Amino acid sequence: MSILLTRETRVLVQGITGRVGRAQTKWMLEYGTNIVAGVTPGRGGEEVEGIPVYDSVAEAALARGAEASVLFVPPAAVKDAAREAIECGIGLIVIVTEHVPVHDVMELKAYAINQGVRLLGPTSPGIITPGQAKMGIMPGNMFHPGRVGVISRSGTLAYEICADLTAAGLGQSTVVGIGADPVVFTGMPELMELFDKDPGTDLVVIIGEVGGTQEEKVAQFIARGMAKPVVAYIAGLSVPEGRRMGHAGAIIQGGMGTAQSKISALRQAGAEVAECPLEVVELVRRRLVPRGTI
Amino acid sequence: MRLYEFEASDLIRREGIPTPDYVVAANPQEARQKAKEIGVPVVIKAQVLSNGRGLAGGIRAAESLDEVEETADLILNSSIRGLPVQRIIVAKKVEVAKEFYLGVTFDGYSGAPVVIFSPAGGVSIEEIARAHPELVLSREVSITTGFLLSDAEQIIREAGLDGEELVTVAGILHTLYHIFRRYDALLIEINPLAQTLQGTYLSLDAKVEIDDSSLYRHPEFQARLADRIANPLERKGYQIGVTYVDLDGEIGIIASGAGLGMATMDIVSRKFRPANFLETGGAISADLLYRVMELVLQKKGLKAVFINLYGGINPIHEGARGIVRYLQEHPTSIPIVAKALGNRQEETWQILREGGVKVVTEVATEKGIEQLARLLEEEK
Repeated sequence: MSILLTRETRVLVQGITGRVGRAQTKWMLEYGTNIVAGVTPGRGGEEVEGIPVYDSVAEAALARGAEASVLFVPPAAVKDAAREAIECGIGLIVIVTEHVPVHDVMELKAYAINQGVRLLGPTSPGIITPGQAKMGIMPGNMFHPGRVGVISRSGTLAYEICADLTAAGLGQSTVVGIGADPVVFTGMPELMELFDKDPGTDLVVIIGEVGGTQEEKVAQFIARGMAKPVVAYIAGLSVPEGRRMGHAGAIIQGGMGTAQSKISALRQAGAEVAECPLEVVELVRRRLVPRGTI
Repeated sequence: MRLYEFEASDLIRREGIPTPDYVVAANPQEARQKAKEIGVPVVIKAQVLSNGRGLAGGIRAAESLDEVEETADLILNSSIRGLPVQRIIVAKKVEVAKEFYLGVTFDGYSGAPVVIFSPAGGVSIEEIARAHPELVLSREVSITTGFLLSDAEQIIREAGLDGEELVTVAGILHTLYHIFRRYDALLIEINPLAQTLQGTYLSLDAKVEIDDSSLYRHPEFQARLADRIANPLERKGYQIGVTYVDLDGEIGIIASGAGLGMATMDIVSRKFRPANFLETGGAISADLLYRVMELVLQKKGLKAVFINLYGGINPIHEGARGIVRYLQEHPTSIPIVAKALGNRQEETWQILREGGVKVVTEVATEKGIEQLARLLEEEK
């Protein structure tokens, strides 16, 4: 079992003819993703890796019955491309693109909530259900099927911690990257709720970092009655205040959003918090063994 | 991108919010000459991108032209929180009856704009919130509906203003929201908005931060971004398209993602001190990593470099070629240790090894840093 994505999910790739879209389509197909169509305006009728390309989402969705879409389009095109997908009834949209203007994200988020569509990102590495399918840019060889659900703000750090888990024989049910911008479409608590209900997930790993309040909201969600155990790691204990560390959302301001405040909130709510990425493995093992679910 | 006060004031004045007459000067003579045009008394304000200028002596009044020259000289030869003052504003001094705080920002979690008003302006909003939380009114705005004049009037009325005062201040708050939207601001503040003894309303200080990701549609600001990065290494990082943060340690860090970079910094910090944070984002090429190596190795006092890459969106085998090319052209005696995993990892390892880079094939960054520590130990 898994959340959001399975090998059956019919996936569309918007921006499939670009350099990144093309390369990632190949990796996604090799992994087993059921990609049914691609879209690039003006390139209808072409093929990428054997996948038919259409001029618009409407044509692709009608001809191929796409349910989910992953976007590899430039920042300035994200707002309209995502709206196009929403208009065509696509239910899950993953935005990998970095540097999308925050105001565009705010507008799109309000629109998506109104339409009841789930968006992930921006600056999301995507979503992977190991052994089944992936939408996005996660390198498949880091992951293995299993029963740990993972939610991360960072792509690369999710790869590292999942590879650590995989090396220890602890596979993952689904791994979701929420994105690293100041505003993201889907927050961590909404995904915690999905994992809590998923019979294929026994435990949730949260990978956070300095800045924003996602991890504090996770703590509130746990305190309200999350049934499954939660293990977390927060990057950025050594980050100086006022410096933006690559991710637009990773900044400590006025003492808010520090790694320490997030760690305290999570521990208080009952989550186990690792001091370093590798310790996540130990904490997961300790929580899972007594339940006899490895 | 944070704007200087004079840029922020130019912006809000252009959009119809009144300010006192002011000029910008770069030397005391220019300050004197321009002060003559607007007339004394004036207020002289350091133009630095730092909060708390007033407390640091960066805002001073001058009653005569001689005093303007003297005070300008004093401020222009000072530093405010480590930032040298290169320009000043000379602004007509006004007689203040009341001070208000007006701000627009956004809630990162809900993703909605937030309008903030306080009738107790003049000090920072954090300070008002601490001392008089009941005097801070904030309201989330539906970005779809927008912020109507009636919404602005409602907040101002709740703050206890009425009559002409209500209408005028609400109008300014409404305009401020539209500036926030039009210029892709992350934060826009007028503090204080002064009601003068003459009954006019003037913005005496404005703060604007514009979203870097939106600068492609604001070319007037885009061109100025690189110039205001004071640290030369950080400026170079911006110019080559990576995030470089200068720190004061001895281990250089190159990571292909921000989260990974921060975790690497945390792990390095347990035994050593990071010399920098560097994050490439998703646009790795051979040329980019060549320039990244050049940048990181410029730092004085480096003892080693730790490279931490994942091949997801990034072609790490291409990056490896750039690293090796740099090292062949510029041999170095300090250890270069690399961990690179993901798509095409074996090919990447081979390129790095042939180029003299110590490759870590284990997954955990902790193990990589242990290897680096052993190498440094052996050198001793």
